[in-house]
Amino acid sequence: MSTKELLAPASPPGEELRIQVGAGPYRLALRRLRRRKGAVAAGVFFLAIVICCLCAPLYARYIAHTGPDDNHISATVIVGGHRHNVVSLIGIPIGPTWGPRFLLGADFNGRDVAVRLLYGGRNSLEVGFSAMAITMVIAILVALFAGYYRGWVDSVLVRLLDVIWAYPAILLGVAIGTSLTLGGISLGPLNLKGGSLYIPALIIGFVNIPYVAKPIRGQVIALREKEFVDAARTLDAGGLRIMLTEILPNLSSTIVVFVPLMIANSILLEAGLSYLGAGVQPPNPSWGTMISDGVRLITSSPHLVLAPGLMLVLTVLCINIFGEGVRDVLDPRSASRGVRR
Amino acid sequence: MKRPIPAKSWWPLAATTMLLVLAGIAAVAASAATHHRATTSVTVDTSSPPNSLDPQSGYTVSAGEADWLVYTPLLTYAHKSGVAGTQVIPGLATSLPKITNGGKTYTLTLRPGLKYSDGTPVVASDVKFAIQRAIKVNWGASSFLLPIAGAQAYLNGKSTSISGIATNDSTRTITFTLSSPVGDFSNVLAFPATSPVPQNTPMTVQTTKMPVGVGAYTLQNVVPNTSYELVKNPLFAGFHIPGIPVGNIDEIKFQIVSNNLSEAEDVLNNRVDAFDVGDAVPSTLLGQIQSQASDRFAKETVASTNYFFLNQRIPPFNNALAREAAAYAISRSDLARLAGGFVAPSCYFIPVGIVGHPTAPCPYPSPNIAKARALLKQAHLVGAPVTVYAMAKSPRQEEGEYYASALKQVGFNPTVKLVDSAIYWTTIGNAKTRAQTGMGGQFLDFPAPDDFLLLIDARNIHPTNSNNFGNVDDPWIQSQLVKLEAVPSTKLSTIGKQWAAVDAYQAKKAYTIVWGSSQLVKFFSNRIDFASAVFHPLFFDDYSSWRLKS
Amino acid sequence: MRRFIVRRTLQTMVVLALVSVFTFLIFQVIPNGDPASRMAGRTATPGQIAAIARSWGFDRPIYIQYLHTMDKIFTGSVVSYSQQINVVDQIKRGLPATISLAAGAGIIWLTFGIVVGLLSTLRPGRLLDRTLGFLALTSISAPVFVIGSVLLYVFAYKASILPSGGYVPLTANPWQWFEHMLLPWISLSLPFIGFYSRVLRGNILDAKYEDYVRMARAKGLSSRRVLTRHVLRNSLIPVMALWGLDFAGVIGGGAILIESIFDLQGVGQYAAESIQTLDVPPIMVIVMYTAVLVVVVAALVDILYAYLDPRISLNG
Repeated sequence: MSTKELLAPASPPGEELRIQVGAGPYRLALRRLRRRKGAVAAGVFFLAIVICCLCAPLYARYIAHTGPDDNHISATVIVGGHRHNVVSLIGIPIGPTWGPRFLLGADFNGRDVAVRLLYGGRNSLEVGFSAMAITMVIAILVALFAGYYRGWVDSVLVRLLDVIWAYPAILLGVAIGTSLTLGGISLGPLNLKGGSLYIPALIIGFVNIPYVAKPIRGQVIALREKEFVDAARTLDAGGLRIMLTEILPNLSSTIVVFVPLMIANSILLEAGLSYLGAGVQPPNPSWGTMISDGVRLITSSPHLVLAPGLMLVLTVLCINIFGEGVRDVLDPRSASRGVRR
Repeated sequence: MKRPIPAKSWWPLAATTMLLVLAGIAAVAASAATHHRATTSVTVDTSSPPNSLDPQSGYTVSAGEADWLVYTPLLTYAHKSGVAGTQVIPGLATSLPKITNGGKTYTLTLRPGLKYSDGTPVVASDVKFAIQRAIKVNWGASSFLLPIAGAQAYLNGKSTSISGIATNDSTRTITFTLSSPVGDFSNVLAFPATSPVPQNTPMTVQTTKMPVGVGAYTLQNVVPNTSYELVKNPLFAGFHIPGIPVGNIDEIKFQIVSNNLSEAEDVLNNRVDAFDVGDAVPSTLLGQIQSQASDRFAKETVASTNYFFLNQRIPPFNNALAREAAAYAISRSDLARLAGGFVAPSCYFIPVGIVGHPTAPCPYPSPNIAKARALLKQAHLVGAPVTVYAMAKSPRQEEGEYYASALKQVGFNPTVKLVDSAIYWTTIGNAKTRAQTGMGGQFLDFPAPDDFLLLIDARNIHPTNSNNFGNVDDPWIQSQLVKLEAVPSTKLSTIGKQWAAVDAYQAKKAYTIVWGSSQLVKFFSNRIDFASAVFHPLFFDDYSSWRLKS
Repeated sequence: MRRFIVRRTLQTMVVLALVSVFTFLIFQVIPNGDPASRMAGRTATPGQIAAIARSWGFDRPIYIQYLHTMDKIFTGSVVSYSQQINVVDQIKRGLPATISLAAGAGIIWLTFGIVVGLLSTLRPGRLLDRTLGFLALTSISAPVFVIGSVLLYVFAYKASILPSGGYVPLTANPWQWFEHMLLPWISLSLPFIGFYSRVLRGNILDAKYEDYVRMARAKGLSSRRVLTRHVLRNSLIPVMALWGLDFAGVIGGGAILIESIFDLQGVGQYAAESIQTLDVPPIMVIVMYTAVLVVVVAALVDILYAYLDPRISLNG
């Protein structure tokens, strides 16, 4: 799934976007946001999920008494007064016990699904956030340079963006991911081992750059024609300074809107890549690898797919609802979206 | 008032109905009259397609299963289940080879009057051509052909033919000269890759139109990665070759699928006739299969060795105590559970069913976590980092993850590295990878002990494509291997105890940790006569023995 | 206008050339993926590996290999490492399934996306709009393979009303073709429906309050005519453009996840299998074809936009 031009689809490309430059846009926005209960609730829920995942070691130690990688193939657990095999003799794992041990059941290797869900959440969220950060930083830089300097700098950068954008994200991600996850990267100062979590983060971050860079570049192009930029130029400010002090702040609302969107996209792409074996490497849990492992046993043990699947959907949904709320309050045209008619 | 149906509106209807009925009867009668003996045909689904059906290129299980019936070599195996099937019998040769010159010369004579499935006569020089072709198209097991004198020079392009093979088309004799005696050269001559093909066969791997051969069946309609068919060869019965069945079923159609679950369901519901032996029956369906189809489902232990290799050249497993600790850490029953119960636990490298399998008790009865922990502490290696390599394919992946978890329990610091099955062997066989430990496995190429122990033979340590993943290099083992390999395979049973001694020695030294032999399934629809179908120790499903239930 | 077309075409050529180089380079980085060792098999000797490397040209300098590869791709004679079969033939074999999937899903998601989008704009902010919006967001938030697996579980395994995978050609058995394609179509369409309905809704609501619409209203044109004539046309155009690009992406293997779950043996699944076995030739060909398709479609879309809105060709 791509974001394409979610932000500016209404106007034909090329039309200038109205930017609100005034005092306290954020104060206003925050007030409006607080009134939108749905978005706030989603944001709070998302925070709750993040905190739970961060508390994974606590859960593992004090409630489940097992780590995410510990196999318990021949162990038994008491459910409802009866003793059950954690993994049956022909290899079928137990379903949710709703007790402290194996709350959501066990997987093929006898590992506690709930523990892995939380640790996996940590990995998925970490990759999602890091990828978003990488995308935003590089995309903003590229957009600023391309949009401000125009000319051949712009042409080269836009062509490079087009190259990345040409591939379906998942195909490119899997192609690069398979190469890199095997041997890691060592490019100058960047030295990562094959199993590092930063490799999928880098790949996802890289693949998403065009979807952010292109719209922001459009805005930069529009902004540089504005009067305050001319004013700064007459004051003899250099290009870099103008970019940082005049243009960048005015992109902030766009950037803020993109952040939750890219987190959601990155988490989804990570799940897809991990499902195909090119993202987070097993046995490091991530929601994508858990679903991938679980699909095989879906007929006898649907909990292996449902638990991580539901968590994924819930988390991304919360981010999307919150993100939509943020966008509605920050986007000056949100009044015309007519939600409070 | 009800209006009566006008007389003239119902009789067209009645007439039409009568005509239809008559037509129907006529059709049935016609089909009965023209009924002839229909060709019998069965379907087989497989998710492990042959790497290639070209005889000089195929070396996976499904390739062998088809090729050995289409391309009969000079020697072949008895078409029987169990140990009886490991016996080498004459194929296209008149008798077993005459071995002279201290085991370096093998002489055979081709049967008279042999023709390929297209009618072309077979000549002795076709055998030499086939072997040269196998080397030219890089047959995966062509290293077995290199002991033939002149084969290495041919491989390097230094000569245009193999000097060590002499043939005479008029006397139909073929003489092999080896550069040093190789005890199981007779087994090498039983590979379908050495079977003759006409000398106009192109020197490139054929992907759709297979070369012709002499066998009970021919390969037709080959669509790579999709399907292929074995069709009975009408010429074969006329040769009256003893010991090689001519086949009962006319057509065997193979379909390549990728979903084992639907594959198993199709066989269970009799929509497909056979489940490929190389596929794993999903455990979710096992219960149902065992209750509904117990008369057509069986687990067969095959001669295979599943083990963990331990790299002796780098820490921590260059330390004998660390190796013993690892040996004490695993539970074979846990591993069997991971394979859905399709593993027979064992601790010796030479598997059951092969001459040389030791019968002594296992040196490291496991799991014994306390002992393992103590040994590791003694070696001062607690917390040693270990990377465990495993194939990214179920259940090998789960087994690797279990192994890592077991190592963690006794005090190592493991991380798992999953590698795709297509590049797994070349990855761990590459010295640069510096793989410390991981999954190893061996399915037999031919039923002899050295086919297994070659994995701990120091001569098989190569910088790339090595087969001795653990870099085992023990002088006593080497001396024994050289001595025992020279004995011809026909005299194998006399040295069984000596082979067993080598295996027991390597187990005691914990050079490898063997945990079991795989079990494969024999699973058919209710159309095939289950009991009479042969399950061959090397080629598994012997399609030429299948017959439909009458 | 003509200058714009020429310029756009040149840009496209440059991007395509870069795409070919980039694709080729990605696969040069693979460690332990030495294809010669892999083709040689388990018991190979170094001599055999060298022989294979020579016959495939792996020992030549990298730019020569690149040119050879490009030549083979253009002439359709690329051969895969794993079974030495012609890649283009394999792709052709997988095309019917992929096209069935893309075409069917494309029609479904476009239709329903437009319908749901329109419904949401009838009474913005009310219950219907909010519910549809929530459903749309949910469908965007669920990864396709989760949707696919759950649908498979419920309809194929639990209820057994639909087959659990595989592809039956339309020409062989239309009803079975439909049965096999239904779940993949639904799984692939749901996220797109959610997304497109939101985009369309946004476009329409924005357009409602655009200046020219207010002008038209002031002129006294009826609400419905305003909606259908001006607003809808301008709102649908971006959606159609988006559809073209997404459709190209799906055909080219963007449906890799759906095809894998439902075992459709299409181009996407072929790509997935090739990647996992590090069989470079097929994946390179597929990625290349996809990128070409997307780039060409994007250029056409841009030209179409320029035709509809002359301002763009001036700004470029």
